[in-house]
Amino acid sequence: MFGQGLVKGLSITIKRFFQKKITEKYPEVKPKLPARSHGSFDFCAEKCIACNLCADACPNSVIKVDYFKNEQGKRVLENYRMNICYCLFCGLCIEACPTKALNSKPDFELAGFSKDDVVASWEGIARRNEGETAEDAVNKTGSGQQEV
Amino acid sequence: MDIGMIALYFVLVLVFVLLNVLILVWMERRVAGFFQERLGPNRVGPFGLLQTVNDTVKLLGKESIIPQAADRAVFKIAPIAIFTTAIALYAVVPFGKNLTVVNPNIGLFYFISLSSTTTISILMAGWGSNNKYSLLGGMRTVAQIISYEIPMVLSLLGVVMMVGSLNLSEIVNAQKGLWYILLQPVAFVIFIIAATAELNRAPFDMPEAEQELVGGYHTEYTGMRFALFFLSEYANLFSLSALAATLFLGGWQGPLLPGWAWFIIKVYFMIFLFMWIRWTYPRARLDHMMKLNWKLLIPVALVNILLTGVGIKLFQMMGR
Repeated sequence: MFGQGLVKGLSITIKRFFQKKITEKYPEVKPKLPARSHGSFDFCAEKCIACNLCADACPNSVIKVDYFKNEQGKRVLENYRMNICYCLFCGLCIEACPTKALNSKPDFELAGFSKDDVVASWEGIARRNEGETAEDAVNKTGSGQQEV
Repeated sequence: MDIGMIALYFVLVLVFVLLNVLILVWMERRVAGFFQERLGPNRVGPFGLLQTVNDTVKLLGKESIIPQAADRAVFKIAPIAIFTTAIALYAVVPFGKNLTVVNPNIGLFYFISLSSTTTISILMAGWGSNNKYSLLGGMRTVAQIISYEIPMVLSLLGVVMMVGSLNLSEIVNAQKGLWYILLQPVAFVIFIIAATAELNRAPFDMPEAEQELVGGYHTEYTGMRFALFFLSEYANLFSLSALAATLFLGGWQGPLLPGWAWFIIKVYFMIFLFMWIRWTYPRARLDHMMKLNWKLLIPVALVNILLTGVGIKLFQMMGR
């Protein structure tokens, strides 16, 4: 019948009118992201063995791993820095990590007012003080488990 | 009627029109959003209601540029002329029982003849801008409005024949028992199509087709002059919806609620219908539009008049 298509079009649009809207009211209503989405990074200093594989895997050289060697010649993490303003959230660092010390978390609100605001850094469990020998550092690691 | 009352009526109508346009522009954007599964403007004020106020203030603050090559006088008069006609239409609209500025015997005739003078203003704007897109838009408007005037008037003629009067209040009174949309459904459909074309709204918005003509006749207008075109467009939307509500939906007649409330409800229903149509159909081609008008709407409207006449005669004979 003539004009049937017109009526069909109207019925389709009126259905859309009452449907749930896909607009996200972002600042008021936070989106529910899946647990493994690449938002920002979660770093567990205890698990880190300072192997530097993540820094090697990173295409943008975002990660900097500061470590020192204890008397057994094992690497001990001192400071872990991610300059997130250059990060492309590819997740290669997470894949490279042998101990799963580095993980992603859904929190994506990373904006800051200056470049320094967007640098994420975690301190290692052991600290090499000025004048402190490697042996002292190891002893401290063994006993204290200083949480930072 | 003395000067004081005229001034009062004028101010009341102006305030009413401006308030309605503020709501209509917001509603158009909001409804468009809803039809496209978006939300539309929702940041400024509750539900984004103050968005239009915001935009209006912005437009008022903008510089009004007149192109160097423009015909200055025509360019300046066009927006004033179009807004004046848009406002003048409200003089005969029956907002409620005894709630009309003037109630002439030829109210409907006044309304139709005045609304078609919009053509001249739009052509003035198109010509005065001295811009090929504006002129094209203006000429398309003339072609479109003049052709669609015919089926619109013919569709209204059926109602006028049944009432036997051009007085809008009498037409409303005649619909006490039965709305004319039930007696004249074909006329109603023709009126909707023709009114969409009269209002330059999609699917008949060739005069201001953004994708082809930049902005059509108001391409060169800025600031408050542009705002006047925008205002009159939505004022015309309201007044034509009011005409449809008056002629086919029983005007201010209705149970329980006061007359003006029924009138506003019906008008906004019509406006929603126009918006629904706008955000559903794609733009028609110019020749298709003309073909629809001359080869379909006008013959159907003429047949409708014929059948109405026969029907009235039969009704009279049966009554005797």
